[in-house]
Amino acid sequence: MSYIVPIGPYHPALEEPIHAKLYTEGEIIKDAEVFVGYNHRGIEKIATERNAIQTLVLVERVCGICSHSHALTYAMCVEQINDIAVPKRGEYIRVITAELERLHSHLLWLGVACHIIGHDSMFMHIWDERELVMDLLERMTGNRVNYAMVTIGGARRDIDDDLRRDLLAACDKLKAPMDRIVDIALNDKTIAMRTKGVGVLKREDAIRIGAIGPHARASGVNVDVRRDSPYSSYDDFEFDVPVVESGDVFARVVVRALECYESIKIIRQALENLPATPINNGNKLVKIKQGVAVCRHEAPRGQLTHMVVGNGGFNNHRLSVHVPSYKNTPTVPFMLRDNAVADAGLIIASIDPCFSCLDR
Amino acid sequence: MQEYKRIDITRDQVVPIAEKMRKAGVGLVMIHGFLNTEGQMDVSWDYAVEPVIESYHVVGETVLPSIGEIYDCAATWPERELNELFGVTFEGLDLSQRLFLPEDMLETQGKGQIMVVPLSELRARNIREEE
Repeated sequence: MSYIVPIGPYHPALEEPIHAKLYTEGEIIKDAEVFVGYNHRGIEKIATERNAIQTLVLVERVCGICSHSHALTYAMCVEQINDIAVPKRGEYIRVITAELERLHSHLLWLGVACHIIGHDSMFMHIWDERELVMDLLERMTGNRVNYAMVTIGGARRDIDDDLRRDLLAACDKLKAPMDRIVDIALNDKTIAMRTKGVGVLKREDAIRIGAIGPHARASGVNVDVRRDSPYSSYDDFEFDVPVVESGDVFARVVVRALECYESIKIIRQALENLPATPINNGNKLVKIKQGVAVCRHEAPRGQLTHMVVGNGGFNNHRLSVHVPSYKNTPTVPFMLRDNAVADAGLIIASIDPCFSCLDR
Repeated sequence: MQEYKRIDITRDQVVPIAEKMRKAGVGLVMIHGFLNTEGQMDVSWDYAVEPVIESYHVVGETVLPSIGEIYDCAATWPERELNELFGVTFEGLDLSQRLFLPEDMLETQGKGQIMVVPLSELRARNIREEE
């Protein structure tokens, strides 16, 4: 029997609103369509009436999980148009915040994935460890969500010697729980049975549709903006880009789990070599010169792109924000095909979607 | 600092450039659009020719060829978005579904209003509708 099964936009299996229409034969999904746009807030339009400092605050509200990524990418655009050099210490602090954000985002997703497959003890264990990262972010920035660490031309808050020592100690402290989490994620039977061979995205499909970030890397596409187009001193650090070929939900678990180690590696290098320069250029409000800039940042979910157009005034002439979920959501129908309806929620969640980000 | 290279082209060059980039394995970062200070539509196809972004701009055209056949959803989603926000028409693009804006807004206010009409006027329109 053929059925059309609607999921969402508001559904217990979804963390955020998306509407999916599943065309099924019995229990098996034969085709699917996805619809977005349930969280559109007109942020790009509002930005046309905001100056650069106000826009930093605004773009952090695009997403609660990757708020620093938005502020960083926007600042990079304004710095590119106005040719502003960022002091090295400011760049390193931006990197430390970005990698802590990646850590908490990946741990959040790993926890949610475990919750969806019914492994709630693992979900609570992972989120417990995530609290250590959240505490570090709160200690460093004063906030658990919108960190406000970026200003045009650098960072807003410094890392003093006490905090630096504590952050380095936390890197050591994170190692044992991360080993436990990765061991369970890679070897637990429940996780393997619910994720291996489920929601496969073939490498050629990932390339053709333009998948990015950990989602693409789990399908064997070796892309990472931090390495391919370095910014904010990322070329000062040694790190690996984990790539897995199988393209299933399990591969996405593996890639994100391994990326947590790389983030810790980068944070440690940045803290050990923190340059003794100022952190910013005076935190001044600047006019955005006439011109266009497009900058990219490897946010936790993949490549984040901002375009800023300046007209010589204080406000943005145009701000355009395109998030990783913009590129990854169109891959969902391809992943759903020939899978069971019961796995649809897990497959949609496996791209680590952020529809709040996507809709802006 | 990342490098951004602007290259101005004509609408006839859009598809050949996309085909060349696709063949070379270059990713389409995004298709962007804005009204420039002279009020002309400026659409750009941004490709990641690592580590540089090569940005191919067509200025002053509101009917453009779609590259959806070449870059699939990586192109069709931004093309649909530009149609909703600015009213740019991409030839051959399937516009049977909305993308971001609510259906009632598209019906009552029409496509291409959001980024073109000043915010103050949009606010005034909403107030009038509420009254």
